[in-house]
Amino acid sequence: MLSYLLRRILATLPVMAIVALFVFSLLYIAPGDPAAVIAGDQASPADVERIRQALGLDRPFLVQFGSWVWRILHGDLGTSIFTNLPVGSLIAQRIEPTLSLMVITLVLTLLIAVPLGVVAAWKAGTWLDRTIMAFAVFGFSLPVFVVGYVLAYVFALHLEWLPVQGYTPLAEGFWPWLVNLILPAVALGCVYIALIARITRAAMLEVLQQDYIRTARAKGLGQNSILFIHALKNAAVPIVTVIGIGIALLIGGAVVTESVFAIPGLGRLTIDAILRRDYPVIQGIVLLFSFLYVLVNLMVDVTYTLVDPRIRY
Amino acid sequence: MDRRTLLKGIAGVGSLAATGGLSMPALSQSAAARTLRFVPQANLANFDPIWGTQYVVRNAAAMVWDTLYGLDDKLQPQRQMVESEEVTDDGLTWTFRLRSGLKFHDGEPVLSKDVVASLARWSVRDPMGQMIKAIQNELTAVDDKTFKWVLKQPYPKMMLALGKNSTPCAFIMPERMAQTDPFKQIAEYIGSGPMKFAKGEWVPGAKAVFEKFADYVPRQEKASWLAGGKQMLIDRVEWVVIPDPATAAAALQNGEVDWWENPIPDLVPVLRKNRNISVDIADPLGNIGAFRMNHLHPPFNEVRARRALLTALSQEDYMRALVGDDTALWKPLPGFFTPNTPLYTEEGGEILKGKRDFAAAKKLLAESGYTDQPVTCVVAQDQPITKAQGDVTADLLKKMGMNVDFVATDWGTVGSRRAQKTPPGQGGWQMFHTWHAGADCISPAAYNAIRGTGDKAWFGWPTSATVEKEVTAWFDAKSIDEEKAAVKRLNKAALEDVIYAPTGFFLSYTAWRKNIAGVTKGPLPFFWGVSKTA
Amino acid sequence: MTGPTTSTARLPPGLVLAPQLPDLLPPVAVRRGILGFLRNHPTVAIGGALLLCLVLVGIFAPYLGTVDPTALAPAKRTRAPSADFWFGTDALGRDIYSRVLYGARVSLTVGLSVALLASLAGLVIGLVSGFVRWADGIVMRFMDGLMSIPPILLAVALMALTRGSVGNVILAIAVAEIPRVSRLVRSVVLSLREQPYVDAATASGTRTPMIILRHILPNTLAPLLVQATYICASAMIVESILSFIGAGTPPTIPSWGNIMAEGRALWQVKPFIVFFPAAFLSVTVLAVNLLGDGLRDALDPRMAKDL
Repeated sequence: MLSYLLRRILATLPVMAIVALFVFSLLYIAPGDPAAVIAGDQASPADVERIRQALGLDRPFLVQFGSWVWRILHGDLGTSIFTNLPVGSLIAQRIEPTLSLMVITLVLTLLIAVPLGVVAAWKAGTWLDRTIMAFAVFGFSLPVFVVGYVLAYVFALHLEWLPVQGYTPLAEGFWPWLVNLILPAVALGCVYIALIARITRAAMLEVLQQDYIRTARAKGLGQNSILFIHALKNAAVPIVTVIGIGIALLIGGAVVTESVFAIPGLGRLTIDAILRRDYPVIQGIVLLFSFLYVLVNLMVDVTYTLVDPRIRY
Repeated sequence: MDRRTLLKGIAGVGSLAATGGLSMPALSQSAAARTLRFVPQANLANFDPIWGTQYVVRNAAAMVWDTLYGLDDKLQPQRQMVESEEVTDDGLTWTFRLRSGLKFHDGEPVLSKDVVASLARWSVRDPMGQMIKAIQNELTAVDDKTFKWVLKQPYPKMMLALGKNSTPCAFIMPERMAQTDPFKQIAEYIGSGPMKFAKGEWVPGAKAVFEKFADYVPRQEKASWLAGGKQMLIDRVEWVVIPDPATAAAALQNGEVDWWENPIPDLVPVLRKNRNISVDIADPLGNIGAFRMNHLHPPFNEVRARRALLTALSQEDYMRALVGDDTALWKPLPGFFTPNTPLYTEEGGEILKGKRDFAAAKKLLAESGYTDQPVTCVVAQDQPITKAQGDVTADLLKKMGMNVDFVATDWGTVGSRRAQKTPPGQGGWQMFHTWHAGADCISPAAYNAIRGTGDKAWFGWPTSATVEKEVTAWFDAKSIDEEKAAVKRLNKAALEDVIYAPTGFFLSYTAWRKNIAGVTKGPLPFFWGVSKTA
Repeated sequence: MTGPTTSTARLPPGLVLAPQLPDLLPPVAVRRGILGFLRNHPTVAIGGALLLCLVLVGIFAPYLGTVDPTALAPAKRTRAPSADFWFGTDALGRDIYSRVLYGARVSLTVGLSVALLASLAGLVIGLVSGFVRWADGIVMRFMDGLMSIPPILLAVALMALTRGSVGNVILAIAVAEIPRVSRLVRSVVLSLREQPYVDAATASGTRTPMIILRHILPNTLAPLLVQATYICASAMIVESILSFIGAGTPPTIPSWGNIMAEGRALWQVKPFIVFFPAAFLSVTVLAVNLLGDGLRDALDPRMAKDL
């Protein structure tokens, strides 16, 4: 197991290298030009060219890529073209809000979605199942920005219970921190709750048909113990997979959620950097994301062995 | 009792009510009153006002860096850092003297060597600065307080150049910063303006913080735009970037921010309904919408094809698409210069007035030799102003029976693509959309977009000898009447040659909560003279 | 949908049959034909009918009282729904009813194409990596890499490379979904591979393709269908998110996503601009899900017995 973990962690390096090269090439061939954005609308073409040269963007692809990799190997993510701040510190500023949002969303989701899915499977075919699934469908039938606006309108503007936007660091207190994240987490969680509830239900249904459940029932085990110990444990593989997948989804949704609720997180940093072609920032974020994904997937794979002892590595 | 209070009463029962209080900033009342929370038009992504020339950078820089002169609300340059100036009778030698008590935020006094270095860097990047640089003999410090600029030819617009508010402004920085290559970014943000930049609190894309500079000595005159005494009545200005207009509107209604620079017009009725919010026109100089055609390639290398579009285009359509039904916000613009300013003229503007004549336009287009080749129209989807104009243009070209190749893309791509002179099939383009701040279009001084210098002209590369002749005539003008006459002829020539197509003149609103006082109309948000009560 | 039942009869001679398991379609559904099948599975019927309606609406949009969905009329902008404009007009004065109906074409195309593309590619990749041990590491690491590139980045890059188009939107979303599908397929394969009947089949010398075809594929279909319906629904929503940041379908081609994205800033004052496309999207997602759930139940005979 330990050597498996080590191998997997070492295996992340080539993944990140491939991702880095792929994204670098993509950005290189994409025609956007940060120099044009910097120089502003009134700038002359000659000025734009001079800025491009000063930024080193006129150098050949391999030279640019090589010097970037060289710096990465020295632990330097580079400097943002626009803000002139180190990419490392730009990312560091933004990690807390995004992680906070994701953790709260994840907790919220698991607390709501898994029990809902289990109950729906248990009562499959009844009105309860149908109601839960109808909600689940509704949950991901609306784009997160629409859900966000409606939540903000009702709970912030009308009821004045929660703030419309912004983020308070955890260091300034737990409540202020939480209060700012409730609406975004609910908006972002909608899709996710729907997804996990559905997958839980599907996986549970699968398991509930198995012979050993019938045996357990025949043995006279209690409903709760059957559902949550025997069945849920055996239904866990697909559920865990989807939770892992969902974390990727969260990052995508975070881009929009952070825009709608003005949360200074990585999602907004990403989109700002992409639209402005701030290459070093895009590179740094993609590198971070690929590392996170690999880590999450590793955790998912390890969890398989915990929930299903038949899977070994 | 309205519904809101009722709901609050109900909420009071639940534990969630406690959060209402918690969502308030954890600042004491008085501290909150000294902090102004401002939602800017865009994110402050970089902070070198000479290197990056977006308006948002200029607006922030105007707090941190001071200028030698400042344009007032009569569009006249007034002394700001300068105490006095002297120009020789031949108009060749300008000698300036700085007023005393000027200090940078790091405590160092402002010396003439700082000014000389700053002007040298600025004059590489600024269109007016470039003109001065081209005729300059020398720019030197005479002593700590005095510097002079010696020219080969007279340059009567000197004070305007040093005090104008179009970007890049002639901001004064310490010498060590001003020695940075003008095409590279400065690394620190020290100025001598009324506010200091709190670099440590800067979260690009989310927040920028400015703090009152205690040692700033304002002038005694009343503040007027960039001129006069810049008295800071608040201690701290926090720029809160809210990218989503619906959210910004809600935040202002909820009192989470104090001032929203540019609310979108369609949301203004909601803001007006709120008792705690004031709404007014932000900048009387407004903006001029525009699309540019590529003068190098068919079909728009042919003036008749360009005129065909002017004949058919409805400025009303463009303006309604852009700013909506609020007719106080826009007007048709049969010309290129900012309405309600001294040089405004409609000379030669008939082609844009009256009922739109598609038959005549189609005839002109046919005469130009247009043979159904695709017209590549590049439109940035991430900028509301270009997107709305692009949608109208697509409709216009379709009605003209032209073959539209609509390239929906982002501003980053438009920025680089429009610089391509190659034919449209090979990476080039035929049309793109943009807009110009009215402040830049009050005269030909900083008005790049009107120039007809061919290869050296702005994107689209129009060539027009008559336009250039009149631009020169304006620069040489000795009186306001001569200036007016020159601009009249210029307007006519630019319309005849269709340098670009103006799509109308539009204003924008600004909105603030009523506990804020002292918000003035102007081409940029001015924070001096603004006060806040808790 | 009757494919798996017939395969048992056509085994090559000489092969020992794997233990016959009741994991195939109930013969009862086959006997009663399509109508009987639909009667047994009303959700499939309802979902399918709804989806068919929406597809028909998209196809016959020009004959349903619509006008040119791209025709501007800035003088008549943001009109509330009325007899003239059934769903009102948007910020450029375009008729929302026409845009929503034409938008059905784009949104359904995006949803279905992405689901199909991602499922097929994900299925193949997932099967390969679940069965071919040496390929597993490489393929999955590559998928990890692909998955870590935000779809939004991909969409913007593709748009910058060429232009905003429906094809690019489909490609960008599908590429992001493939790793997810292949992970799911792989996880199912991994746990099925350990099932006694698969062990038995392997032990009795059944070749891998046959095992895949007979044991793995039928068991993968149910979770894959659920996943595909989810992808189909989410693709339509991701399309709207791409429009939200200006990287979606071009404005000359209406889709539910870009109608909502264009109207979003006005939702406090003109909620109908967002409401109608959102309602259509919800109904579509509902239909797709009903269909998916129904098919899942239908394909799983153990379910059928219990119901």
